[in-house]
Amino acid sequence: MKIRSATSATLLTIAMFLALAAAANAGSNNSKDSAKDAPAATASAAPANAPSANPASATTATAPAAQDEDFHLEGERRFRSNCGRCHAAPVKFPPRMMATIVRHMRVRAAITNQDMRLILRYMTE
Amino acid sequence: MLLMAGSLQAQDVSNPGTSAVDVNLDQIKPVPILTGSTAYFSRVTGGTYQDTPSVSPLLLLPMGDKWLLEAKGSYSDSFAKNAAGDFTGTNSYGLGYAQIDYIANRFVTLTAGRFITPFNIYGERLAPNWIRPLQVAPLTSPLTSGSALGGMMRGGFPAGTENLNVTYALYFSANNTHHLLATDRSTGGRVSFFLPQQRLEIGASFQQVLQLDRPHAAGVFLEWQPNHAPLTLRSEYARTSGTKGSSYWIESVYRLSQIPISTLRRLELVGRGEQFFTADDLSASTIKKLGALGKDTQEGDFGLNYYFRTDVRASASYGRQFVLGKDANIWSFGMTYRFVMPLGPSGRNM
Repeated sequence: MKIRSATSATLLTIAMFLALAAAANAGSNNSKDSAKDAPAATASAAPANAPSANPASATTATAPAAQDEDFHLEGERRFRSNCGRCHAAPVKFPPRMMATIVRHMRVRAAITNQDMRLILRYMTE
Repeated sequence: MLLMAGSLQAQDVSNPGTSAVDVNLDQIKPVPILTGSTAYFSRVTGGTYQDTPSVSPLLLLPMGDKWLLEAKGSYSDSFAKNAAGDFTGTNSYGLGYAQIDYIANRFVTLTAGRFITPFNIYGERLAPNWIRPLQVAPLTSPLTSGSALGGMMRGGFPAGTENLNVTYALYFSANNTHHLLATDRSTGGRVSFFLPQQRLEIGASFQQVLQLDRPHAAGVFLEWQPNHAPLTLRSEYARTSGTKGSSYWIESVYRLSQIPISTLRRLELVGRGEQFFTADDLSASTIKKLGALGKDTQEGDFGLNYYFRTDVRASASYGRQFVLGKDANIWSFGMTYRFVMPLGPSGRNM
């Protein structure tokens, strides 16, 4: 009897969890989900005109818009190769939160300084 | 450590970030964050049923441009049937880590306090229950000392080319006998080589315990994510010189993100195989004292993870453990939720 009660309580809790998750999911942005949930493997190779590893050393010859796009692609690539190794891609948080998270991950995952800056730039666009 | 940090700091000054990109990034002031995960899992191990709700909060407190205080706690309540046939709960709580980090320069980060021992990849990277693909911990976990109290020097940097990163960690730990914060007097480290374009990482670890019978442990690990498939392959091997033997595991995680049915794209398939080998020439009393580490074990696990959102995940797994005279089925199902909340204004330039 007690086992049945425990099982029922467990199933009820799981059902509540599922309902909450479904409700939360219904409110999320579908397009954002499809982009964020994309597998790490969909990351493209580095673009031919990818910026230097260190944003600080990027040349200024490229037009600003093209340079922004290059930084975006390179940031996405580094985000997927570093962060996607261990966990699913998170949503983008506000900039000040991302700065803390990226600092935390720099220590925990030994992300290089260049990768950290490009990832932070990508995640705060 | 400090001397090396100082000399590398001098090198770092020669490469200040002066572009518009760096200026913009430097204007973002990090805000304290409370993050972590909650979980509810039911497990059946060899017929023994157990329910475990848990919460693991993590406080991240950045200070200035180079400091970060990290503190992670854990609390869980395991409900299982006792000898009288009643379900009773057993509380457990602990401090995963409480460390202060100083990012000295591009090459060196210094850490002090209680931290996770840098040995292979599972303990530091995959252990949080919202990250680990299978909730059942691998057999390599109990082989080494998992927590340390002392200092650590670590970092990651490109090795002359953008297609090779080197990461390293060196630590020293003092002995602590507090029942919640127990650590061994030990030293060790880890080094790895990561090829970002191939998404391949290979590394090795070493740990020397400096007390009691002074066992040492060595390990290697590999992680690979092919560019052409949403697949992750991981493996660890660890061997100890003492009474704890050796073990390895191989894990694959496949995300069904290429399937045209959108609902199934959130599903992840996981498989893991592992073996544990006891140390040679163990006495009967030692085998009894070691418990699970006293018998050769093989185990295979298969699991499913479904991401309702990136922070809400349902998991289920089945495993079969082969131990001489005591084979067992291991079932696990439940959910995890990862939370992140700022402890201050989280907008830009505030």
